[in-house]
Amino acid sequence: MQISRQEAEIILKRTFKLDRFYDEQWLAIEKILAGERVLLIEKTGFGKSLCFQFPALIFPGITVIFSPLIALMRDQVAKLDALGIPARCINSEQEIFENDRIIDDAKAGRLKILYIAPERQENTGWIEATRQLNLSMVVVDEAHCISVWGHDFRPAFRRIINLVKMLPRHLPVLATTATATRKVEADIATQMGGNLTILRGNLMRENFRLFVIKVESEDDKMIWLGQNLNKLPGSGILYTGTRVNTEIYSRWFEFLNIPSIGYNAGLDPASRIAIERGLMNNKWKCVISTNALGMGIDKPDIRFIIHTQTPQSPVHYYQEIGRAGRDGQPAYIILFYNPRDRDLPEAFIEGGRPAIKKYEKVIEAIRNELLGERDLMRRTNLKQTQIRVITADLSEQKIIRQVTSGKSKKYEYITGAPKLNTRAFEELRELKRADLEQMIGYVETTISRMKYLCDFLGDTDQREFRNCDNTGLRKLDVISDPEWTGKLENYRENYFPELQVETKRSRLVNGVAASYYGVSNVGAAIHRCKYDNGGDFPDFLVGLTLKAYRKKFGQEKFDLILYVPPTKSGDLVKNFAETIARILKFPLSNGLKKARDTHEQKIYENSCLKADNVKDAFIFERPEMISGKKILLMDDIFDSGATIKEIGKYLTGLGAETIAPLVIARTVGGDVV
Amino acid sequence: MNHEATYWITLANLPKWGPKKTIGLIIRFYHEQRLDIEEFFHLTESKWRDLFTLNDQDIEDLNTAKSELPNNAFLAESLLNEGYELIPVISPEYPKTLKENMKNSAPVALYLKGNKQILQERSVAIVGSRNASDIALQFTDNIARLASQEYRVVVSGFAKGVDKQALDSAIKYKGQSIIVLPQGIMTFHSGFKKYYKQIVDGDVLVLSTFHPKAPWKVELAMARNPIIYGLADEIFVAESGEKGGTWSGVIDGLRKNRRIYVRKPAEDEKNANHILIQKGAIPVDMNGQAAEPMELPKEQGQVITADEPIADYGSKVLDLLKNGEYQAKEIIHRLNLAVEEARLREFLIKHPDVQITKKKPLTFSLKQQELF
Repeated sequence: MQISRQEAEIILKRTFKLDRFYDEQWLAIEKILAGERVLLIEKTGFGKSLCFQFPALIFPGITVIFSPLIALMRDQVAKLDALGIPARCINSEQEIFENDRIIDDAKAGRLKILYIAPERQENTGWIEATRQLNLSMVVVDEAHCISVWGHDFRPAFRRIINLVKMLPRHLPVLATTATATRKVEADIATQMGGNLTILRGNLMRENFRLFVIKVESEDDKMIWLGQNLNKLPGSGILYTGTRVNTEIYSRWFEFLNIPSIGYNAGLDPASRIAIERGLMNNKWKCVISTNALGMGIDKPDIRFIIHTQTPQSPVHYYQEIGRAGRDGQPAYIILFYNPRDRDLPEAFIEGGRPAIKKYEKVIEAIRNELLGERDLMRRTNLKQTQIRVITADLSEQKIIRQVTSGKSKKYEYITGAPKLNTRAFEELRELKRADLEQMIGYVETTISRMKYLCDFLGDTDQREFRNCDNTGLRKLDVISDPEWTGKLENYRENYFPELQVETKRSRLVNGVAASYYGVSNVGAAIHRCKYDNGGDFPDFLVGLTLKAYRKKFGQEKFDLILYVPPTKSGDLVKNFAETIARILKFPLSNGLKKARDTHEQKIYENSCLKADNVKDAFIFERPEMISGKKILLMDDIFDSGATIKEIGKYLTGLGAETIAPLVIARTVGGDVV
Repeated sequence: MNHEATYWITLANLPKWGPKKTIGLIIRFYHEQRLDIEEFFHLTESKWRDLFTLNDQDIEDLNTAKSELPNNAFLAESLLNEGYELIPVISPEYPKTLKENMKNSAPVALYLKGNKQILQERSVAIVGSRNASDIALQFTDNIARLASQEYRVVVSGFAKGVDKQALDSAIKYKGQSIIVLPQGIMTFHSGFKKYYKQIVDGDVLVLSTFHPKAPWKVELAMARNPIIYGLADEIFVAESGEKGGTWSGVIDGLRKNRRIYVRKPAEDEKNANHILIQKGAIPVDMNGQAAEPMELPKEQGQVITADEPIADYGSKVLDLLKNGEYQAKEIIHRLNLAVEEARLREFLIKHPDVQITKKKPLTFSLKQQELF
């Protein structure tokens, strides 16, 4: 495809309403138009998308863009739509008929640009459709996800790289990323195969204002944010390390009347879309999120990004702060650091890998049978997250592979597979340890923080930057203040975790717990009573539970209190429910019984086995009592929620109007009860 | 070879180009011009025309195929990702038996899953009708047992009746099998589930020569038969009707001078086995031994494979010659040897204890032994 820069810029003006390309952009575009393969490493805000959107418009057929970020895809499609360029996005969060219609449009040649998630390559309908596409170019966005040496390796990208290898050599391919160390760059290049041009730009972000705030406790972080969040310009993102912390921080801001909202990957698509839209429209001062949010948001004016937890490596950090200040205006980049914060990423690195014997268990199971993920959970009694790590590693080592069997995905053992190579895990772990040290190094460094990050990412640019608290900006710290300590205490005493159990299929409503299991002395008290003959649950638990009840349900009346019949711990829950019933003056029934023996839920590592353990396990002796009633369902500990959900389903069947769970403690992933 | 899969799928599925035409082209670009398939596809039209004397229609077909390469890349990726392999006709892994038996009508590409080492082993095909009699199934079981004991691979076609029996018996006797599919390999989910363990353990290889997504069709079932015959060193027919797949397969095989053993039917059997024998197939008894009209001493024992030095079975050959005069071909029959005729003939000519008793046809006997 021959076209001069001058001609191209006329088209650019007409369609994209832009005057000219940057030289670096034109360099990439020229190569793509000539049918070459390009790896483009440029910082966020450079305008990488134009490097494929423009050629896509020129090419006769369709351009397929693989991107892991649904939010970004949605966003770019909206922008292309506004320019009148026919673009669509296929993803798992849309209705099937909508995806089908888009595929039909693509097959009929009505689209120039099609965004899809790499996982789509596993969909037989999509593969079927590709037989009829008039394909002109393939783009791999966030190409660092190809590499296990990257900060965000995604197994689904393996298939994309294999596809790239299969493509005929005259078909242009563009891979883009904003964050690739030299090692990752080399890995991507090797995997993509010969005839690849690498274009690497500088990664400096002059408009960043980088700060590190050293603190001694979680309280310090909360107090500083309480005092200062509203003083920061515009709106931004607060990254917390865990889902629980998104909840704790968002409730804290709610308590302080700072408009904010929590976001995590566990939310349903509709809520996620609503939050992404709200963020775009500055609906809140800040969105509090795990790292599930951000990379994909194409908002030019994110004014601050704050981390309450140190990321695993400088690459993670650079990637997460990358979205701030795309408009070139100043953006505040703040990292809190408490020496204890390294525990979380360290635990992730050290404990993140399941034990070797768990790998062997999985290999043995798959050797004998073709198994899906759920089958594997049942056969091995391993956690779903662990099974995902193990199956990904075993696929990587070519011991097993995922295949489609009819409509479901199964794992099969590869005939003549090699033995498990545990050294590969150790090497990766070593690398992660070293990266974490580099991240801590960012906290401790006395040189320019921007330069520190760029050096790590292999950017050799020698320019001086004075945009951090080491190079001229004021150091930030926490000033203790009794008034704020009091506020925080007050908040803590009025904060109760929610139990999210609502579904369309039952009359269960979200309930409440008096506390998290591990966060306070509550867990220890429960443990003493249950397992060390500590007698009935102490009064402070009764008080706390009643307070949680009042906070959540106010003066609402219930017709009946039921409690979950115990497996082992005798009458503890019964006595506790009786006490609560007496105080609230609601009738209590002992009628909920076990229809069969069950095991203690805690021996099961995953939700499949927990659900199996309690399935059809409950019976109520006088079912006519339930019909039309509002029921408060009590238990001591809420873990996976499988028991509450099973009883909710059963009572719904008996005609209950509402079932509201009330428990003493909710566990957080990893709590040992 | 993997990165070429896209190109091979495309070439193998050129519409209206039969294997002969495609194989002819492959010979010219690969063997004569020393081009790999990728290089061939990216030649200019004029090079195609000049180097390969292709006409306008051929060029148009190739251009269409070329424009489908990106689409086939998706198929190739999904094929390989699901653990299937593609072996093109130029690969050293492509079975020699198949190439020798089918010559220029050999399939351009094989799609397979399982232990592909099996392709290099000596093999026996067992064929027969879908609703075979009990005796035919018993025969099938016998042949599969003997083959398995002798480390020969059983090739069968995954139809009901004889095919299924051949496969199940080979598994029962812990032998190895090749299933030749009457459909595309990516449409065989239930089979992969059923034979999962055997495939994992390397005892079963599943093979197809059709477009990976092609559903089962009568035409494909018919087209598969020559592949079964082509993959096998020896062919045993358990039972054949007077038409249908087995029948036309055997007739085709006989026309190509393949040696085909047919179970000798009892007088009252209503099938076409005896007609096949009249047409030149070799009658065998229930254990696959050539059933001779004359009662002659039978050699029992192991089948000897061509890989073994002749010296290992030379003594058996000499023992047989004690009984009379034989042609090399007859010796091979009678002892069920898997050695090439020419090789045996050479052995006999050179052997000091053997003499030639007739020149046309070349017939051998033992030299008179000195008594003292």
